[in-house]
Amino acid sequence: MAGVKQPDDKSHFILPDLGEGVHEAELIKWRVQVGDSVKEHQTMAEMETDKALVEVPSPWTGVIGELCGKAGDTILVGSVLVRYAAKGATVAATTKTVSAPAKQNTAPVTVAKTETKTDANEDAGTVVGNVSGSLGVPSQFSRQPEHESASSSTNRSLATPAVRRIAKELGVNIQQVRGTGRGGRVTASDLQAVSQGAVDVARETTASRVVMAQPINRATVNDNAVTTTSTAVSVAYPNVNREGVKECIPFRGIRRKIAQALDLSVKTAVHFTVVDSADVTKLDRKRKEYAAALGTKLSMLPFVMLAVCKALRKHPTLNANVDDANEEILIKDPIHLGCAVDTDHGLMVPVLRNAHQKNVGELASLVKELAESCKNRSVARENLVGGTFTMSNVGSYGGTFATPIINYPEVAILAVGRAKEQVLTKDGAFYAGLVLPLSLSCDHRIVDGAEGARFLNTVLGFLENPDKLLA
Amino acid sequence: MPIKSAFTTTIDHVSILDANANFDEKLGSGLIPDADLVRLYEHMCVCRHLDEVAFKLQRSGRMGTFPQNMGQEATSMGAAYALDKTDWLVPCYRENAGLFWRGLPMEMILLHWMGDERGNAIPRELYCMPLAIPIGTQMLHATGLAWAAKYRGEKRLACTFFGDGATSEGDFHEAMNFAANLDIPVIFFCQNNFWAISVPGKIQCSAPTVAQRAVAYGMDTIQCDGNDIFSVVYCVRKAAALAREKGRPFFIEAVTYRLGDHTTADDARRYRDQAEVDAWKTRDPIIRIRKFLTTRGLWDDTKEAALAGRAERDVAAAVERAESIAPPSRDDFFNNMFATIPPDLALQRDTMQTHGIGQDPSQIDGAVIELPAKTSH
Repeated sequence: MAGVKQPDDKSHFILPDLGEGVHEAELIKWRVQVGDSVKEHQTMAEMETDKALVEVPSPWTGVIGELCGKAGDTILVGSVLVRYAAKGATVAATTKTVSAPAKQNTAPVTVAKTETKTDANEDAGTVVGNVSGSLGVPSQFSRQPEHESASSSTNRSLATPAVRRIAKELGVNIQQVRGTGRGGRVTASDLQAVSQGAVDVARETTASRVVMAQPINRATVNDNAVTTTSTAVSVAYPNVNREGVKECIPFRGIRRKIAQALDLSVKTAVHFTVVDSADVTKLDRKRKEYAAALGTKLSMLPFVMLAVCKALRKHPTLNANVDDANEEILIKDPIHLGCAVDTDHGLMVPVLRNAHQKNVGELASLVKELAESCKNRSVARENLVGGTFTMSNVGSYGGTFATPIINYPEVAILAVGRAKEQVLTKDGAFYAGLVLPLSLSCDHRIVDGAEGARFLNTVLGFLENPDKLLA
Repeated sequence: MPIKSAFTTTIDHVSILDANANFDEKLGSGLIPDADLVRLYEHMCVCRHLDEVAFKLQRSGRMGTFPQNMGQEATSMGAAYALDKTDWLVPCYRENAGLFWRGLPMEMILLHWMGDERGNAIPRELYCMPLAIPIGTQMLHATGLAWAAKYRGEKRLACTFFGDGATSEGDFHEAMNFAANLDIPVIFFCQNNFWAISVPGKIQCSAPTVAQRAVAYGMDTIQCDGNDIFSVVYCVRKAAALAREKGRPFFIEAVTYRLGDHTTADDARRYRDQAEVDAWKTRDPIIRIRKFLTTRGLWDDTKEAALAGRAERDVAAAVERAESIAPPSRDDFFNNMFATIPPDLALQRDTMQTHGIGQDPSQIDGAVIELPAKTSH
């Protein structure tokens, strides 16, 4: 039954997996109202999964007592979608009159979360099971705990072989750990909690002394789920004054994908930004020569890209991805340069693969092609992933310096501002020069301040010495 | 020297009862007795209703996944009708109608898609294989079954079903080559519904017909309107006669269309034109039989209403039976692969009940235990 067991008393309907391996669905529209009588198989809601728009029918005949969610909400599989009125009870057109069953499976999730890769940790039990209760997550995120029936009756804990192995390595007696995973399974997090002494492990082996896993300190846990959870913690959002609203735009689609990615980045990476200006007076002359030779328009961007590639070769730690799930920093050999592109439907970051193998002319034409394909939405999926460093050419829209947000799991991003003519000094004399502002953000967890500054300085060196850059 | 033709062939297309219920008396009369046609029609309608209910079951979390059969009922139904009851039916997963005709209880199909292995424990006397989900495996099984029958001197043949997409699989070509070269009495029944999930047929088969693929193997072939049960019965009888008399395999391309999604995990609206679907809805195999029966005075609205009521009750009862079955025992996990369970599997089965999920205790506790000696063959 797709991993979801509906209650025997038919008091509520839990959102099942609507396809294969679907973890959540967006509520598009209710087709019933509180107080309506529904028949078995009658459609109650229209929902959209990542694969399909589907109609969700009622599994039995009953009267709608409460609709748990509103259009636009993302509902996690396993949470309550609809409550039915108790037999014989009259239902007023309010949700209050319904006696709520088990509190732990209330309501849908009004999402403030990032990519729900919740099953990435399936070997450690179910992630949603992991987070239940023990991580300070509101109860509505948790599945209904089933461990009462599953594990309290016997002395034997349920766990996957992988988790048993972890137990052995940690020296934890798995029989004494109460699982918080699906069906009462012991998860890796439960074991970590126990092994870190967050709880006292019962020494007796009697069935009565089972131990409940306690909250885990996020920083100590090597666990994707926990990272996800920390970003999924629901915030007590303020009531927003809706007076004078001219247009109400649903916060979803690409806009929300962008928001989720940025949210994950700022909540995971530790950002710092270092800024500097490059004197590109000489480089600008070179640029004009190149443009004339190639017979095309040529911006400063491909030259900066070239400088970045060369600088990354000297500072390889910035050309990396961080794998937080496995606690590894992956220094990359090829340079796949992400280029932030502003489109009608929002920010996109196509990836220019193997940028280190390209010359200025190639970089210029490739970045133009990628931007075009983003704007007309024909960009191939493989050109949107796999970046190792990102550049944002904010200068083409205005602005000098910025504090760019890292395209996580990359570890650094460079924002290029608008080049301006300024009065500069050299050897005690004034001169007019073209100045290019650069802002570099790095993930401080991976890149120290000094290393970031050194990298930026190397980029500057290339930009200010075109002969070295174009050698 | 003038260039001569090395090989020429034609592939016949058979259509007897068309979408407008025009009937070819010459080919069709006497093919299916009226009483049988009424029963076939009733079976198809019940099958269609089960399809609709199963879809809802999946959407309300009562079933894991389900591939709707809608629109393709005439193919497997016609084949099952035309074959002997002891010929093998080797289905893919869109042949519910044929399996029900053969006598498979509806709840077994439901159980299968609810994830209960007992849905595959098909009674031996039905001569049906379980549904084959991985694309293409069943064609080799069918060839093997028919070959075994030939070896034993039985007159039994095998009829295997697959879609157009499966004909791009290596397994298909192995089965075809094997059957053709070793004279194995197997009917390869291709349900060409034009879509391999979201991949249109023309992308994976450059030839205008799928049937041409059989020509390459020296196999007799025919194409028919798969939404016309008369055509299907005509072609399967022709194929079965050849198989029984000459022991030769035969390839049937039945042109049909799935009116629903590939499965409940699919949304066909994302890749198919509504106009195409609407056009095929007018060619629905059920509608044309109803028209045919009605014009001959064999069917009316009263009978239709009674049938609808019966379909609803029968399907509801099948759902009830499927949902009320007790959960399987854990041992079932191990017990159905071998007639006699091998010692290492038995060990896993037994350790599962005393330690953790099928693990050798030596891997969990560090205990050294002796494996029972393996029997050598």
